[in-house]
Amino acid sequence: MAQLCFYFQLHQPYRLRNFSVFDLTESEKNYFVDDRNTNQAIFSKVAQKSYVPMLSLLYELTQEVPKFIFALSCSGIFLEQALAFEPRVIELIQQLVSTSQVELLSETYYHSLSSLYSLDEFVSQVRQHTRLIQKLFSVTPKVFRNTELIYSNDIAAKVAKLGFIGILTEGVERYLHGRSRAQLFISHSKPAIPVLLKHAQLSDDVAFRFSDKNWFEHPLTAEKYLYWLDSFLPGELINLFMDFETFGEHQWEDTGIFNFFKTVVHEASKRPDQTFVKPSVVAALPYLEILQHQQHLSPNPSTIYPTYDVPEPISWADVDRDLTAWRGNSLQHDTLRLIYSLEDKVLSSNDQKLIEDWRRLQTSDHFYYMCVKWSADGDVHKYFSPYDSPFEAYNRFSAVVADMESRLCHEHSS
Amino acid sequence: MDGIQQRVFMIGWEYPPHNSGGLGIACQGMTEALSQQNTQIYFTLPYLHPQAVTHMKVIHCQSDDSGQFRAAPPFSTYSSVNSAPIKFSSSTSPIELSSLAQSEMEHQVNEYAEKVLSESKKLSDDYSVVHAHDWMSFPAAMKIQANLGKPFIAHVHSTEFDRIPSGHGSHYIAHTEYMGLQQANKVIAVSHFTKKMLIDKYFVDPSKIVVVHNGVSPITPSLSSHFAANRPVIVFMGRLTAQKGAEYFIELANSVLQKIPEALFVVAGSGDQYHYLLLRNADQHLSASVLFTGFIRDRQREVLLDRADVFVMPSLSEPFGLVALEAAQRHTPVIVSTNSGVREIMSNSIQVDFWDINKMRDEIVKLITNQDYRQQVMRGQNENLKEATWERSAQGIRNVYHDLITGAQ
Repeated sequence: MAQLCFYFQLHQPYRLRNFSVFDLTESEKNYFVDDRNTNQAIFSKVAQKSYVPMLSLLYELTQEVPKFIFALSCSGIFLEQALAFEPRVIELIQQLVSTSQVELLSETYYHSLSSLYSLDEFVSQVRQHTRLIQKLFSVTPKVFRNTELIYSNDIAAKVAKLGFIGILTEGVERYLHGRSRAQLFISHSKPAIPVLLKHAQLSDDVAFRFSDKNWFEHPLTAEKYLYWLDSFLPGELINLFMDFETFGEHQWEDTGIFNFFKTVVHEASKRPDQTFVKPSVVAALPYLEILQHQQHLSPNPSTIYPTYDVPEPISWADVDRDLTAWRGNSLQHDTLRLIYSLEDKVLSSNDQKLIEDWRRLQTSDHFYYMCVKWSADGDVHKYFSPYDSPFEAYNRFSAVVADMESRLCHEHSS
Repeated sequence: MDGIQQRVFMIGWEYPPHNSGGLGIACQGMTEALSQQNTQIYFTLPYLHPQAVTHMKVIHCQSDDSGQFRAAPPFSTYSSVNSAPIKFSSSTSPIELSSLAQSEMEHQVNEYAEKVLSESKKLSDDYSVVHAHDWMSFPAAMKIQANLGKPFIAHVHSTEFDRIPSGHGSHYIAHTEYMGLQQANKVIAVSHFTKKMLIDKYFVDPSKIVVVHNGVSPITPSLSSHFAANRPVIVFMGRLTAQKGAEYFIELANSVLQKIPEALFVVAGSGDQYHYLLLRNADQHLSASVLFTGFIRDRQREVLLDRADVFVMPSLSEPFGLVALEAAQRHTPVIVSTNSGVREIMSNSIQVDFWDINKMRDEIVKLITNQDYRQQVMRGQNENLKEATWERSAQGIRNVYHDLITGAQ
């Protein structure tokens, strides 16, 4: 029996409307609103299927099971859309936060890849996100979760310098070298930072495979899942990280996903040596030890905790857990290059609308839609994409960037 | 000039609004002008035409057991884009047809030939000449010629050697073209460029070939389009296949942008090179400078030709190139490949070898920066356009009818 650390991700991008060269006009425009209010429609649909019922269930569970604690992370643009389209989602999160059984994590406001492209922009977005969390929920996140759990030694150092006490990422085999992920790691960076590694198998059993009839473990009952959890030793740390939409959207209600989760929480809480933890609690002690080591008050934490050395960026996506979902082809490389090449010009324009548009274009989903990988990964990408093809995603995005460049040239050059 | 009435049995394959290339548009312009000049036309199509046509009699030659392939959407090379779904019962376009397996292609063409033959027999007293457009209709024309003894004109809008410049096109298509051209009593080529192709590649007797350039239908100047108002806009429009040279357009964009960084390039069309070209575009860091529209039609097409500051047609092999005339009609200076038919009647357009990127770049820079030069080119094009009418084409075609009917050589 072990410590269970649940974290659920809440995010919705601003999808682009159908934008082409014919829209490069002088008139005021909104890149993200189409005739059918697609973004609002999708948000409301998912709110009804997933956000509202699952947030309600989580609240119920906090009331029924006092020791049930977990973490949520909400992108800034998720919260913006919730405020605009489904305010009850915000109220439900507020209600949850007020129980003190929920920890909110930090991330980039725009769910961007800025950690890979611009330190200044990354820091701005993290701060903007913190401000919104403080404003809406009156708490300040202490643990960081990067877009799509993207992580490297370099990113760990940036996050540590920002003062966070821990960071979440994926446990990737090629950097674990056979070590168990069910333990706390520290980063290979200066300064170091405690690292919580997702338990991919147990997380994805729920997130991806729960209703997969071709999976030899199907159907996944709470009993079976608890049996698997029971095989861990006391003190081991099982990080169950998944998309919030797993509940009700990716796995529909009729698959039994809500009842499954409810039973798992209830039954786990009855096991004497099983506890729920949240990331800041797990990270607190090692964080202190790192600080003390810096002041030469304690031994090097790397003698106590295993080190997670990740020279090349990883993520929680696709089979290879790398970045190829967002930058695996030239469509993605060039549009990313373009968007970050505009940074100085956009920011010095002092045009708040332009800056916001530019930041919304940084959302990782835009590049994800341009992925041309196929087979199993391709199926997942297709499921998430609102466009007919990766090439259409590229065409829309390129036309919007072209429009933005024109705005920069003609409104701000003179 | 109305002249005496001539009656012709014309074998088509597509007709607006359903068309994917120049053939349907050419058939429309040509038949409208011919009917104005006292020509009675029976026009066959392999599908039920959705709109009323009054200037000629459209004969629907769909075979009875054809539901098998027409019930399904055409196997389309355009499937990668949002081309509007074809709602009406319609044929496979020539482009689509040539992408089918040979057996299916043969099946469609032979079915059509049988059906056309049976219709032609019913009308055999009502026409004196058979006029067949491109290879899809040649087998039908040959059957009529063999069965009824009617003289047959093969009208060549495009050959397999144009469509597949590498020379590795369909043997079946090239062979059908060859047979039709050899059997035809007369051959009409849409340009001297095509005539030369027919002589060199198909060994057609030069004395049998008459060149009749296409025309262009007048437009009602309507729209003023101002997108990208502050940037020079350079447009490519055509199928994205090796034939049309879009690869050279992207290379050209790269070159022009070094001189005019704010230039905006637009690639309109779709085809088998679509994805390849997008990736190539991104590879060259042109994502925000060269925009792709996918397949466009009607109004958007006009808007683009109208808005363009320069239109470029860098085709490797273009029998005619109607779109260059359409651009010129909208007061857009055009740069056309020397391997094109349209250059023969657009003597004042700018003519460059499709591979000569530097020359095309210099011309574009000059057209954009030098207003006098630009005006001069446009004035010249306007002069050329006065001659580029379907009336003129129809006269040429009627002369061929006349010669065949009277037995003149």
